[in-house]
Amino acid sequence: MRNLLSFLKRFRNFLIFIVLQIFILSLFFNSKNYHKASFVNSTNAISGWIIQKRYNITKHFNLSEVNEQLAQENAELKSKLPFSFYTLENNVFSVNDTLFEQQYQYISATVLNYTNHMHNNYATIDKGTLAGIEKDMGVIVNNGIVGFVIDVSDHYAIIRTVLSERINLIVEVNGIMGQLDWRGTDKEFCHIKGLTASADIKKGDKVFTKGSSGHFPKGILVGVVADIEVENGSATLTVPVKLSTNFSALSHVYVVVNIFKQEQKELEGAHYE
Amino acid sequence: MNSSWIQYGIYFLGIVLLQGLVINHIGIGPYAYPMIYTMLLIVLPFEINIIFLLGIALLLGVSVDMLSDTFGLHTSSSIFIAYVRPALLNALKPRDGYDDNQMPTVHDMGFAWYAAYAGIFIVLHHTWFFVLEIFRFDMVGLILLKIIVSSLLSFVILMGLQFLLYKSSR
Repeated sequence: MRNLLSFLKRFRNFLIFIVLQIFILSLFFNSKNYHKASFVNSTNAISGWIIQKRYNITKHFNLSEVNEQLAQENAELKSKLPFSFYTLENNVFSVNDTLFEQQYQYISATVLNYTNHMHNNYATIDKGTLAGIEKDMGVIVNNGIVGFVIDVSDHYAIIRTVLSERINLIVEVNGIMGQLDWRGTDKEFCHIKGLTASADIKKGDKVFTKGSSGHFPKGILVGVVADIEVENGSATLTVPVKLSTNFSALSHVYVVVNIFKQEQKELEGAHYE
Repeated sequence: MNSSWIQYGIYFLGIVLLQGLVINHIGIGPYAYPMIYTMLLIVLPFEINIIFLLGIALLLGVSVDMLSDTFGLHTSSSIFIAYVRPALLNALKPRDGYDDNQMPTVHDMGFAWYAAYAGIFIVLHHTWFFVLEIFRFDMVGLILLKIIVSSLLSFVILMGLQFLLYKSSR
């Protein structure tokens, strides 16, 4: 007993160090798992407040760029409105459409804080559970995808961007499925792994979301094939994709609400597990 | 003694905010991520109690983590470096020990001593940080590059802060 006590006394500092490290590192490595996040993040009240104050100062810095983006989006949406179409048949817009049912809704939010130079990159937005945001929802911008919501508080949410390892996003090029992967350095490029070498993909082909997991609608633009890399002696292709999202100026994003998500999950859960 | 702790508290707030709100957002390429908050552990007195030191490191790390969404990475690194600090100071001890009224600053200890101390301190801290952040054997090159570039940048900024914030106590 006395030996144990003297041992504890001698190694007291080391034990404190080890206990603290185990505690902190378990939080950290848990956060690498796709659906978990620890309490040490910016959704809490104090850092949320500080980040909001910072945003209030810096939000004007790239105002012209943001304006241009929004104007462009407006123009695009306007071109889809009924008055932009030449009416071929007079009653075509008064038909109550029962062929389609709305599956996706969008919540607009503002990015308060983001990084693009770390190994895993996150963004904080100014809406949380009170605005209807939940964990695991997809996030897009007008011309590309951003990532997934990994943690929410009442007023804030954290997005894990596609500039992260193990993001596991299923994408589609010319109808061929592949997995999107980020290599950790270049914020403009991701790679599609595991395509067969015979796949019919050319430089300039557009890459879209597959929509199979229900995070994103099908057919949201992800980027453009920038090159084709054939690995020697390998039967697979690696395709660098230039992302269409501009990760150096994230401002307004849309959180995707999938109304059918619960239904899909329940159905799949009943058979896959 | 008391007034120097008040000064330390002000520096603590200032540097944590500087790190979280300015430095985190500069984004000078994928390799350079200066972590200037290490200064707050560098300049503590020589004879500080290690439990107290670990406490400061914990508080510092959590504050920086909350502002930069790193989920405990900064906390882990600063606790590590706080634990190593006494051994490092011991290894760098001059022949006749440290004076009671000296602080580990560039003015008190001289440029060469401070450069060695801060240099080793920063490299150890950054190594722990980037190794844990990436944690993959196939990316050793990237880890090394990040450590080297970021350490150099942190070192230069810390040297500047030394001359800016501290005056010779003699």
